[in-house]
Amino acid sequence: MALLRFNHVSKLYSGAPALDDVSLDVERGQFVVLVGRSGCGKSTLLNVAGAMDFPTSGEVVLDGVVTSSLSETALTLLRRGTVGFVFQSFQLLPSLSVLENVELPLLLARRPRASETALDRLRQVEMEDYGARMPYQLSGGQMQRVAIARALVHSPALLLADEPTGNLDSTTGDVILKLLQNIARKQQTTILMATHSVEAAEIADVVVRLRDGRVQEVLEPASGP
Amino acid sequence: MAYQKIFYRLILRPLWRERLRSALMVATVALGVAVVLAIELAGEAAAGSFRSSVETLAGSGDFEVTATGGVPAEVLARLVLLPHAFKLRPRIEDYAVIAASNRVVPFLGVDMLADAGANPGNSGADEFQRGGSIWVGKDAGWKPGSRVRLTVNDGSADYTVRGVIEGAGEAIITDLAPAARLLGRGSNLDRILIDVPPSRPADQWESILRAALPDGMTLAPRGARTEENRRMLAAFRWNLRVLSYIALLVGAFLIYNTISVSVVRRREEIGVLRALGATRLSVLGAFLSEAACLGLAGGIAGVALGRVMATACLRLVAATVDSLYVSSTPAPIALTWAVAVAGIAIGVLVSVVSALPPALEASRVVPVEAMARGRRDHDVHMHRWRDLALGAALAVAAGLASRQPPVAGKPLFGYLAVLLLIGGAVLATPALVSVLSRATATAAGRIFGVEAMLASRSLAGSLRRTAVLVGALSTAIAMLSAVGIMVGSFRQTVLLWMEDRLRADLYLRPAGPAGADRHPTLAPGTAARLQRIPEVAAVDQFRAYEISYNGLPATLGGSDARIAGRYGQRPFLSGARPADVFAQLPGRDHVIVSEPFANKHGVKRGDTLELPLGGRRIHFRVIEIYGDYSNERGYIIMDRGTLLKYLPDPSPSNVAVYLRPGANLEQGRRAVENALAGRKVMVFTNRSLRKEAIRIFDRTFAITYALEAVAVFVAIMGVAGALLALVIDRRREFGLLRFLGASTGQIRRIILFEAGLLGLLAEIAGVALGYLLSLLLIYVINRQSFGWTIEFHWPVTVLLSALSIVYAATVLAALYPSQVATQLVPIEVIHED
Amino acid sequence: MKIRVLLFALEFYRAALPGYHYEFPRDHFNHPEFQTEWWYYTGNLRDTQGRRFGFELTFFRQGVDRGKEPAAMWDVRDVWLAHLALSDIDGGKFLHTERLNRSGPGLAGSSLAQARVWNGNWNVQWDLRTNTQQMQAIDPRFSFKLNLRALKPPVIHGLNGVSQKAEGLGRASHYVSFTRLETRGTVVLDGRTFMVEGLSWMDHEFFTHQLDAAQSGWDWFSLQFDDGTELMLFRLRRKNGTADPYSAGTYIDARGQTTRLARDTFSVTPGKLWNQYPVDWIVRVPSLGIEVELTTRLPQQEFESKQNRYWEGAVEIGGSRRGAGYLEMTGYAAPVPSIIKK
Repeated sequence: MALLRFNHVSKLYSGAPALDDVSLDVERGQFVVLVGRSGCGKSTLLNVAGAMDFPTSGEVVLDGVVTSSLSETALTLLRRGTVGFVFQSFQLLPSLSVLENVELPLLLARRPRASETALDRLRQVEMEDYGARMPYQLSGGQMQRVAIARALVHSPALLLADEPTGNLDSTTGDVILKLLQNIARKQQTTILMATHSVEAAEIADVVVRLRDGRVQEVLEPASGP
Repeated sequence: MAYQKIFYRLILRPLWRERLRSALMVATVALGVAVVLAIELAGEAAAGSFRSSVETLAGSGDFEVTATGGVPAEVLARLVLLPHAFKLRPRIEDYAVIAASNRVVPFLGVDMLADAGANPGNSGADEFQRGGSIWVGKDAGWKPGSRVRLTVNDGSADYTVRGVIEGAGEAIITDLAPAARLLGRGSNLDRILIDVPPSRPADQWESILRAALPDGMTLAPRGARTEENRRMLAAFRWNLRVLSYIALLVGAFLIYNTISVSVVRRREEIGVLRALGATRLSVLGAFLSEAACLGLAGGIAGVALGRVMATACLRLVAATVDSLYVSSTPAPIALTWAVAVAGIAIGVLVSVVSALPPALEASRVVPVEAMARGRRDHDVHMHRWRDLALGAALAVAAGLASRQPPVAGKPLFGYLAVLLLIGGAVLATPALVSVLSRATATAAGRIFGVEAMLASRSLAGSLRRTAVLVGALSTAIAMLSAVGIMVGSFRQTVLLWMEDRLRADLYLRPAGPAGADRHPTLAPGTAARLQRIPEVAAVDQFRAYEISYNGLPATLGGSDARIAGRYGQRPFLSGARPADVFAQLPGRDHVIVSEPFANKHGVKRGDTLELPLGGRRIHFRVIEIYGDYSNERGYIIMDRGTLLKYLPDPSPSNVAVYLRPGANLEQGRRAVENALAGRKVMVFTNRSLRKEAIRIFDRTFAITYALEAVAVFVAIMGVAGALLALVIDRRREFGLLRFLGASTGQIRRIILFEAGLLGLLAEIAGVALGYLLSLLLIYVINRQSFGWTIEFHWPVTVLLSALSIVYAATVLAALYPSQVATQLVPIEVIHED
Repeated sequence: MKIRVLLFALEFYRAALPGYHYEFPRDHFNHPEFQTEWWYYTGNLRDTQGRRFGFELTFFRQGVDRGKEPAAMWDVRDVWLAHLALSDIDGGKFLHTERLNRSGPGLAGSSLAQARVWNGNWNVQWDLRTNTQQMQAIDPRFSFKLNLRALKPPVIHGLNGVSQKAEGLGRASHYVSFTRLETRGTVVLDGRTFMVEGLSWMDHEFFTHQLDAAQSGWDWFSLQFDDGTELMLFRLRRKNGTADPYSAGTYIDARGQTTRLARDTFSVTPGKLWNQYPVDWIVRVPSLGIEVELTTRLPQQEFESKQNRYWEGAVEIGGSRRGAGYLEMTGYAAPVPSIIKK
């Protein structure tokens, strides 16, 4: 069964459709890239996928449960266990050090051995030497690495990334994409990523093109598994 | 770019969008202004227009003649014969207690016969001669024919109201003859009011009158007594006024904080506006206008609120004035346009001045500056050590200021030291907050979980605003604890003093509420009657007179020195033994004076006081200074025999009864009461007198506590507002935390922890600062303005409970902001840009 | 009823009865055993420029309480009332004032020992050796200081030491006058000092309840003629409008010899009215060949007291003899106060 299934999902924002009858399966371990113009519904799709938002009609099944049926507590537990988020503008907490930022999801979920795990994740993004730094001391690429480490710290089954390279120059952006690709491969983490970047589409297992809230086409590039 | 547009975009729109925050700020200013105004109005009503209440019906005459122990009637006879067109009004002045309400009202004896000649329709020379006739002031509320029971001295009787007199307040008025008989005045008057014709200048009349008066009479321009009262009350009012400014100061902190926050928050917007052509001046003007608007609204609300609060304050202030200084009938509260405008102006001024630094900062934003908030906080990090050093320098300056003598009787340097200390503490706050919150973050995280860690981190992270907030709250807490410590120490000192001072078993005084300048007397035979009781070992009679010394009111007293020497134990301030000192009083023109008297008049041991007594000027040697806390006016005490020699009125004001060792207190008390059956005498046991004294003490300081409470309330309101702003400002962070798996409960806890931490930091800083301020209050300000020796005591219970309440209130103030935080929609706040 | 009141009063006070033995100077001063007593000074003065003044200074004493207990300092045993008036005849002004006092520590009184009658700083100090009196009266608007020298011995009016005023024993007063007092001194008015001289008249009466209830007032005349004689007349008016039979008078000739004038030996006829007061009179004493007209240049000499209203003023005399005098009219505008009449 797919890790994430969209079943005729529509989402209306003040009457206007942001998602319009989207049906889509994301299998475990897949690297799925959402492309489309600004405002085509990519972010909404990600929010709905991560149970931060819910469809107006249809249903989203994440890891076997219908997200809209869950209580607030269960949703929090779902986010703590199953989903990790990466944002365009990094969203590090400025008052926390790099290591503390990465630890944060584990601490919020009251998981043991938070700092060891966090250090481990920093190593994965090659930021282990920066654990004590404050976010403002980092470059954009470094911040996004830290953000990725944080998104992965609790080993989520699904990583949702919204334009992770949008605020980065292309070289740095490529590095970040590579990093995400590696992670998807090595950890079998499912990645759903919204992006403008053409390069991103190239490394994806599946490319979903959205237009006006509808799935226009689903491509599986040759380089897929 | 048009100023109006900037003002609209930068100021009006946000003000409207954040109505709650704006309302809180307006309320902050309003409370600050209200307290200042209320104290001003109440002070003016209680003390300003005041006039001792016996001034009733005194009119606006030119001179007055008074003398310790009374003005002999012959002086009046001498004055009426002078070949000048004087108008002379002899008066007997005392107080009566209305039995039904236990209110003290002036009881005046005037020459109703002479007045009948002056007032048409008031004829009937015999009517006022009839016993039991009284006339009353309009405010007393009786009609002619009413029967009224009055207690005068220790006797009580029914009187019939014969008429109502305009402009006499609540006073009870009779003719001289019944008044003199009732009060046992013999042929003495208390005052002669003199109106002089305008045909000569006042100083000529004064020398003519002086030449006609015998020695020992005090001739003063009319209103001298009111002037004396005013002077006496000046220090009291000053201190009250200063206390009332604390709430305003705390309010200023909060305005500074709020405007700072809005500048930081609107930095990008300011940058954009500057890029679009807004000048620096217009940005500065916009923010100052915001402050002015809030100040104006707060000022107007504050004036209205202040008028309401003044009524409540007046009761407290009047009680203090009455028990510490002088019998007063408060004037009605008069809110004039001038005062109202001044109140509003204070609101605007305080707001604008507090907003000036952040507004200046706003004007320095360079066009299209999109600077991260962290950067600015970083600046503060860099400055906090410099600020700490500056704070330390201010503390040193405060130490120096505290060693300066008073200026014109006012502890100006003491207040300066207080301000310097507060300033120093505020400057040290960022360092304190940053060090403490960082130091505790890990520990807090370990003990209370990640929420506590996040809370302390974010406090340290947004140091700029938290420091101001902690500064405001800790200033309020500091003043609260300082005043708490001062009053607590004072209370403890008084308790210890009473322990020693009150050694007799029973105390007697005429019934009715006590007042600092009222000395009703007991019948002359009282002591003799008590001495016949088998249980009684000794009776000490104390007689008090109101006098004026060096233009200030004081109390002259006579006590039986032999008895006082036998029972007194605690050494004098100099260390001398009571027995030795009291042995030097009888038979000699020797006195001891109380500490407030000595301080006020700069009197030292061995000095000589010249007192006009019984028509002579007598020189008394001050042989000792004793600690006294019963009133602020000061006492001169001599042996009863000496006093009787000059003022031969044997009626005592108070009587202290010592029982034989082993005698049963209850039996003794009953025997005393039986012996005085029919007289209106209050008999206190030692214990009940102390209780009564401490009750008066607490009542006296009620206003102080009330002022502090308002300041703390303002600070807590500020905390609520600031936390709300903090939540709105950090909504993205809270949204992010939700993305990262935080539950709404965790979000709520973070904010509550922040409030808790803020409160804790403020309390730590506040108590530390409060301790230092209390030293200034006790050893500098109180000493210089009142002259009391207060021993330092920690009022642990009071302080702990006050601090707990403040702490709980601070955390409770965070409930609403935390609720707002949990209701933020994460996806909206995280994508909003 | 009337009798009871009188008897009640007489428990405490003495009545004026015939046969009273006068003794001077004692009887010039206080008689507290009588309920009512007054010392009445009036006079006509002229300054060096001829400006005319009249003055009145009266000290009243009314006993209100004769309790048995010793009086305390402020107890009111006697009410001391004093009236003071200055008639600025050429200035067209009449200034008057009054004061009330108790004896107290010496606020008002009359004392042989001190040879003084006073109410505050309105006082008359006698020099008993020279029989002169120093008078002082001070008001914010005016004051005067006068030296009075008796040109004739005191006159005792009436018969057998009493001046009968109504039917009944004791309804009378002891009445003594100095009818010609040479007067010199100063008057201060509106800040100006006038050196004045002229003649004064002094009446002293003491009694207990002299009038009766049917009497409504009186007209009293003290006339000093330029030929050195004086005439005192009083006409008591009854409520029914008739003259009381107890109206009487005294004529003093230039050497001081007195003639008592009974009701039927003189007539007084009112003339022109000012308000209710007849301010012009014709006085006839046929036996003495006197027929004079009294006129005043200052009709508004009405004394408005808090207790009472009466007319008391300087008059000029023309006709068979010339001179000046004082005229008193009571009971026209207000009833005679109860202190005189019970």
